[in-house]
Amino acid sequence: MVFLPDESRGLPPPPIVNRNSVWMGLVGWASALVDNAFNRRPVIRAGVHRQVLYATVGWCVGYYIGKRADYIHAKRDRDLMEYIRQHPEDFKEKDKKILAEVLEDFHPIR
Amino acid sequence: MAPPLGLVKRLLLRSGSLSHTLTRSAFIARNPDHTKPNWGKVGLTFGTAAALWVLLFKQHNEDVMEYERRREEREKHDACTGCSYVDNML
Repeated sequence: MVFLPDESRGLPPPPIVNRNSVWMGLVGWASALVDNAFNRRPVIRAGVHRQVLYATVGWCVGYYIGKRADYIHAKRDRDLMEYIRQHPEDFKEKDKKILAEVLEDFHPIR
Repeated sequence: MAPPLGLVKRLLLRSGSLSHTLTRSAFIARNPDHTKPNWGKVGLTFGTAAALWVLLFKQHNEDVMEYERRREEREKHDACTGCSYVDNML
């Protein structure tokens, strides 16, 4: 089970600053802060090197997870479009009626 | 029976205290000194973080180049064959 198959490289890569990276970076930083709290150190001021490393690892994990998510979604969309293309009889466009045709005539009773 | 027992007891008593023969022991506990940072570990940590950032930027640039390359190939292929329906991901 490959994490990123070769055909995923045909998709546009996510930018360096992307939602998944930012979120996982924050999660990594928060886990460093929690580690400080559990070891009874000053929460933000202690272990800055650790905070930087955990945030960096989280950022990188977010980038790769975003790439895999993009691949899975693209694959699903491709399969869906292919199915729709191969079964046109199931996806016929219904004749659309405008509201004027649906409504009855208005006869005011005063 | 008695002499071996006494010997064992003396050996056991000796293990907890500092003897005049200097021995290192894994059983001596010291409080970690947090006023003196372990600069080696700090340097390694920052170095690893910097290396990870460099690798991330390199990987991103490679991905962008590969995507552009494949897109050009696909557009060339579509131009040649008159926009045939191929897998849009390739």
